[in-house]
Amino acid sequence: MLSVKQLEKRIIWISLAFAVVLLGLSALAINLFHVGLPTCLTDIKPFQKGELITHSPTHYELHYVARMWKFEPEDVTVPAGSTVDIYLSAADVTHGLIMLGTNLNLMAVPGVVNYARVKFDKPRVYQLLCHEFCGTGHDRMAAELHVVDAATFAARPSPPPAPEPTHPGYKLLDANLCTTCHSIDGQPGIGPTFKGLYGRTEKLRDGSTVAVNDAFIREKILHPDAKIVAGRFEQEMPKTDLSSEEIEEIIEYIQTLK
Amino acid sequence: MDLTERRIDIEPGLRRMILIEIIFPMVLLILGIYHGLMQVLYRAGMIRSSQFLGLSYFQGLTLHGVVNAIVFTTFFAVAFGYAIVRYYLGRPLNMKVAWLAFTLMMVGTLLAAVAILSGKATVLYTFYPPLRAHPAFYIGVVLLVVGSWIAFFNWLPPYFAWKREHSGEKVPLAVVGIFATFIIWLIATTPVAIEVIFLLIPWSMGWVATVNVPLARMLFWFFGHPLVYFWLVPAYVMYYTMLPKLAGGKLFSDFAGRLTFLWLVLYSAPVGIHHQFTEPGISSTWKFVHAFFTMLVAVPSFLTAFTIGASLEHGARERGGRGLLGWWTKLPYIDKDRWLFSYLFAGLVIFIFGGATGVINASYNLDTVVHNTSWLPAHFHQTVAGPVFLSYIGMSLFLVAELTGKQIRFRTLNVWMPYIWTLGIMIFSTGLFIGGAGGEPRRTNMGVSYADPQSHLYHADWGYAKMLGSIGGTIMTIAALMFFIVFFATLFSKRAKQGDLELIVSETYHDERVPAVQTFTPWLAGAALLLVIAYAPPIAQTIRSNFPGAPPYSQDNPRPISSAPNR
Repeated sequence: MLSVKQLEKRIIWISLAFAVVLLGLSALAINLFHVGLPTCLTDIKPFQKGELITHSPTHYELHYVARMWKFEPEDVTVPAGSTVDIYLSAADVTHGLIMLGTNLNLMAVPGVVNYARVKFDKPRVYQLLCHEFCGTGHDRMAAELHVVDAATFAARPSPPPAPEPTHPGYKLLDANLCTTCHSIDGQPGIGPTFKGLYGRTEKLRDGSTVAVNDAFIREKILHPDAKIVAGRFEQEMPKTDLSSEEIEEIIEYIQTLK
Repeated sequence: MDLTERRIDIEPGLRRMILIEIIFPMVLLILGIYHGLMQVLYRAGMIRSSQFLGLSYFQGLTLHGVVNAIVFTTFFAVAFGYAIVRYYLGRPLNMKVAWLAFTLMMVGTLLAAVAILSGKATVLYTFYPPLRAHPAFYIGVVLLVVGSWIAFFNWLPPYFAWKREHSGEKVPLAVVGIFATFIIWLIATTPVAIEVIFLLIPWSMGWVATVNVPLARMLFWFFGHPLVYFWLVPAYVMYYTMLPKLAGGKLFSDFAGRLTFLWLVLYSAPVGIHHQFTEPGISSTWKFVHAFFTMLVAVPSFLTAFTIGASLEHGARERGGRGLLGWWTKLPYIDKDRWLFSYLFAGLVIFIFGGATGVINASYNLDTVVHNTSWLPAHFHQTVAGPVFLSYIGMSLFLVAELTGKQIRFRTLNVWMPYIWTLGIMIFSTGLFIGGAGGEPRRTNMGVSYADPQSHLYHADWGYAKMLGSIGGTIMTIAALMFFIVFFATLFSKRAKQGDLELIVSETYHDERVPAVQTFTPWLAGAALLLVIAYAPPIAQTIRSNFPGAPPYSQDNPRPISSAPNR
């Protein structure tokens, strides 16, 4: 039977040996398997525009911009077998990006660009979520990345980019960031889409109904929390400093979105 | 409980202050725990709304974090520190300074509470810029912290006076522990005070237009990790100086206790970047250095596990325990006269899991799987809502009963409460661990998206994990309710005897004399050196890089505050 003192000594030596072995293994892992973490201490100026840049049929550069409360681009398609260099920047507050089912997990910090390289082997749809609190719409901030096989990728109809609407009403919506929450093409968002909104009848939270007409839209812009549509986000819509004429332009534009 | 020997007639002023410092945050804790329950209900989709009863999800989350993790813990640590310093060092304290510290802490807490409740500080307890809180929130935080510093400085004169009178004697272990707690607190809060005073307050007042976000985040996490040892060390003080006696035995090794406390002083702070592994702007080298130091800070927790395990075994054998493992049955698990045992023991059981998952999180690249998922709250609830919470509320009840001379009411409820809490937190954490490993995000009101079948973002595969989370959270709330009944019934019961200050003091089985752990000085010098090594280069890099600054934002508007009208 060993005394406690002798036992302790033996344990200390065994622990030290273990520690040395573990340290050696970590060094090996770093050098052999290139285990690394996002490290980008760079002079890259944070970018404001999200885009997919094709370097070759199997190598892409993907610029994600995280902003309140969406990722740009929201929907990306790449072919299976491609390597994607992902650069992430934050346009306003701090966001996070996790690609479910992978170990891609990046913080989007204002002022700095984050970087990770991902190789996509098999066709699959990946969902991306924001995982850092970024304000009211954080809970719904998500995007998708589609990996498709090479044939599908080649055959996919490449729609000409939708022309930016030139209506002055759209310009106002865009400049005041209304389009962050309200789409113009029927896409779901934090607020209702503008497409087909005008003329519809909405049920309010107090049970009454209201027609979406000039008066309602004007009231909603001027007093966002006066009437709240049932089932909608209760958080008030941010106030803007739009003039009466500008609101007219916006209403006129929304009318065109049938 | 007849485990105490020496009673101290405590001065009425100090007695009153300790009582208020325990009861006031306990009242706030009711609000904090209510919002904990709300979190699991929102996240499970049982509340499908962004607000409930007038408080929004993120306002509630901010309250839950600030009250439970900052206000309750800081007030308790100060109150516990007063009790220990007064009891062991045997000298009255300077009450003018003590009341000044107390006033600053109260005013700070109230300022921050008003800011949060009025919806002007929905920034969570990490208050990451460029989300901006009302200046009152930042000023409140600073006052709370500075108040706690002053309370600590007030303990130094009695400490040095004791040392002069007892030269050559060992400083009582509990005093070493509580001083280690507040040295860690000083190390931790200095960088966050710099962040708040020099970066955030001028920026939130509008005196400067932008803030360097990477620098602010690095200063925050310089604070954020030693903070958890500030929470944990008072619990360790109870484990080392009280639990052995409650178990019927002696502390196995006095040296292990001292080494644990001093090792934490040394290593608690140069590890903060392990919270920032997935961030840009910090080179991998410094991430790896911090990962390495983090593994070293796990050592004192293992030391504690084995030392306390040995002490429990000693106690059980003294109580007639036999055999290699049979002694386990002889511990006073549900002994109403030794009820504090169940609080401390249950916390230790939870901490086994909290500690193990902590090592996973700090493991550099494993972190990329779980960073910012619900895995993280599962882990830190098993630490701060496990050993920390249970030992703090147990000791709060003990001190209140002793200081007011009351008998514990509802003794059965009291002795079972920690085990029901343990059951709740294990179920809750299991749910959050499973969800987190599958990518379920933390800090997200999933009821309006991922947990809402009507939403295009709905995740049916997270349903099981969320169900476990809400069941566990509900059981925790029931256990907390049991505690509040015991606590307030005891507080408002009839006085049974003269109130005084008494603590449980364990004897020591191996009372080693190792000179290296009899003094703070070399450990403080080592801590300073490690901090310079671990933090000077990355902070210098962050400042030199001159990242574009960020203007302030409010949580409900995608435009910066300066350009948004009407606010």
